[in-house]
Amino acid sequence: MEPLVKLSGIIKQFPNVVALKEVDFSLREGEVHSLVGENGAGKSTLMNVLYGVIQPDRGDIFIRGEKQHFHSARDAMNLGIGMVHQEFMLAPTMTVLENIILGFEPTKRSVLDYDLAYEQITELSREYGLAVRPESKIMDNSVGEAQRVEILKALYRGAEVLILDEPTAVLTPQETDELFRVIASLKQHGKTVIFISHKLQEVMEISDRITVMRDGKVQGTLDVADATKEKLAVLMVGREVFLNIKAASTKAGPVVLDVRGISARGRRKLSELTDVSFQVRAGEILGIAGVDGNGQSELVEALTGLGRVDQGEILISGTPITNLSPGQIRKKRVAHIPEDRNTSGLCKEMTIGENLIAITLDQPPLSKHGVIRSREVNELAAKLVKEYDIRPANHRIRTANLSGGNKQKVIVAREVSEDADLLIAAHPTRGVDIGSIEFIRSILLAQREQGKAILLVSADLEEIMSLSDRIAVMYEGKIMGIVPAAEANERVLGLMMAGATYDEATQGKGDEVIEA
Amino acid sequence: MFSLSEIFTLTLIRATVRMSTPILLAALGLIVTELANITNIGVEGIMLVSAFIAVAASYWSGSWVVGILAAVVAGVLIAALMALIHLKFKADVFVAGIAINLFSLAFTRFLLKNWFGVAGSFYSPRISPIPRINLSFLQIHPVIDTLFNNYNLMDYLAIVLVFVFNFLIYKTVWGLRLRFTGVHPAAVETGGISVTTKKLQALLISGVLGGLAGAHLSLGYTTQFIENMTNGRGFIGVAAMYFGGVAPITTWLASLFFGFTEGVGARLQTMGFPSQFILMMPYVATVFAITFSMIRQQKKLTQKQPF
Repeated sequence: MEPLVKLSGIIKQFPNVVALKEVDFSLREGEVHSLVGENGAGKSTLMNVLYGVIQPDRGDIFIRGEKQHFHSARDAMNLGIGMVHQEFMLAPTMTVLENIILGFEPTKRSVLDYDLAYEQITELSREYGLAVRPESKIMDNSVGEAQRVEILKALYRGAEVLILDEPTAVLTPQETDELFRVIASLKQHGKTVIFISHKLQEVMEISDRITVMRDGKVQGTLDVADATKEKLAVLMVGREVFLNIKAASTKAGPVVLDVRGISARGRRKLSELTDVSFQVRAGEILGIAGVDGNGQSELVEALTGLGRVDQGEILISGTPITNLSPGQIRKKRVAHIPEDRNTSGLCKEMTIGENLIAITLDQPPLSKHGVIRSREVNELAAKLVKEYDIRPANHRIRTANLSGGNKQKVIVAREVSEDADLLIAAHPTRGVDIGSIEFIRSILLAQREQGKAILLVSADLEEIMSLSDRIAVMYEGKIMGIVPAAEANERVLGLMMAGATYDEATQGKGDEVIEA
Repeated sequence: MFSLSEIFTLTLIRATVRMSTPILLAALGLIVTELANITNIGVEGIMLVSAFIAVAASYWSGSWVVGILAAVVAGVLIAALMALIHLKFKADVFVAGIAINLFSLAFTRFLLKNWFGVAGSFYSPRISPIPRINLSFLQIHPVIDTLFNNYNLMDYLAIVLVFVFNFLIYKTVWGLRLRFTGVHPAAVETGGISVTTKKLQALLISGVLGGLAGAHLSLGYTTQFIENMTNGRGFIGVAAMYFGGVAPITTWLASLFFGFTEGVGARLQTMGFPSQFILMMPYVATVFAITFSMIRQQKKLTQKQPF
């Protein structure tokens, strides 16, 4: 059978990097085809070629056997190719309906025909089981709802092929299940789906076929029956990887971080902290799970002095640090891996070395009487670059030129080498390659072995479950409960992430709570 | 002391409407650009050049119609220049606007000297003004007649344009795409629509409206050209646009408010109030209005962050 889409010998070169090196990719009509690979492997570039956003330097695109040239996304759309971007292309202040019809608006005597649009949308939404509220504004929708709007938008534009770019990265486990039902329904209606992900478990669950990319090349396309997680991981990384590396729990020591009933204002209503309390002991990792935007950022800001606390108290080894400045808090032996490496973790204009010494610069031996001692600085920087396998291994390179994984390693090296009592790690592996994930996780565990107290904030449940000794779940600025890792599973944590307490989640009442 | 009834008369209402017209025309253009995420402060300069060109064209041709058309062409040309600076060469639109405003002030002064050999102002009986419109069916009652009849053509036109733009912005495909351009350009691009084209359209339309506003100042509201005769009305238009929440009908009300402060000022001045204080009023009102709108906008932003 002739493939629906065939990409042949695609080459794309960006300044300094070859993003795609002679890639072949084919898609059968009606299949769910996963595209997996680390960040920077070329998945998104390849899909942007298919969606007409990027024009390849060489290579051909065939749709149903016919050669096509895409000059813009519009050309791809006209041939039935739709894409749901990782960052939603939805205007928050506009309604669901307006967002869906943008660019393909129905009119009656050159006036917008809202009634017809409403009918068309409710019809589509019924057909595919995509519940949306056409007249609500996007900003009043949940992430899951917004994603359904994006899928509807693609269908409304007549998509036969839907490219879903890491659609589960922002969803709770329950929302993911819901998305998988939608994908099944799309398949039933004869649509073809390209599912981009790096979560191998999901890929195994949903795909008919799986294509693995690495370094701008296709490493292989497998039928799901022939694939295993291990096989895929080897293809992705080029060697075996060990992500679930937790050693047996050592016994926890004295309380290092004691948070007592803190409240703080949030960037928005949902992330306002209300009466948050927990403790982290020496030699343990406390994981903070939750869907992004439920107060995790505000919590970290409160703990590190970057945000104000309105009520309650924070103690480090018994000394109060509430509303001290970030510098004063660091002096109480607190280290912090910030959630956004590009804006707060690094100064991108400065070198690896300068970033590595940024915290300890004012202390001997790095400086004396306010004068920097370059020999010591260079020695330390070179040592850390080697120890943490930062590439390229030259500390005089500006961090702006590093990959995500290496940027993150610079931050981890700086913060861990501070030898603090408490390490606050916010999304330490978000958006970095598998090799770096593995490395950063092993460092966190090594820190725990050395008796450090670690607070790990992450939206990645798999990461939380594989590293933490105890797991606190945040929802709308509150802690829904703290669960020992041994008793945690995705279902229970997922229900808590959607607002159920631990008891409700374990007694199976969680679904009703969410309904109400 | 003067009694309030002396200040608040029917003619004050007339003055309010008349003084709001140039502000309203400028503000309508500003709404269109603001929706495309361009705060076009260059409208002040567009108005000034258009006011001059309107007088010149009307003087030479003896026709106010030619005057208006020439003013609109001038407005569009300057808007096109801004589009070139901002959209093609990617300069900040505020900087481009300031450049246009400074240029316009000097340029009109230069042309005034060069073409008419005068400095400061230019008046001639040969300048054909935009006519007033007498609608005889409004003469049924003296109050109705005073309130609604015998305005300048441009006063009526501006009000019609409020409803025209309200329709265009909220009921047409063009308007929907324009509104998306400001809030989510990437969504517009992935919808297969060029953001640059939308922004160019918006700028050119603001050129047309700025041109009309300028023509009205020099051929309708007065019949002469005076150096810097816009006197900040373009900026007050910016205030009216924000105060009116970037929507035509509420912006009309905001323009009336500014027209009213000017009208009251003019009246108090004739009664012997210190003129410096009076002349300050529209600008004080502007500062308050802008402050108010910005506070409101901030609140909106903090309350309603998506996701």
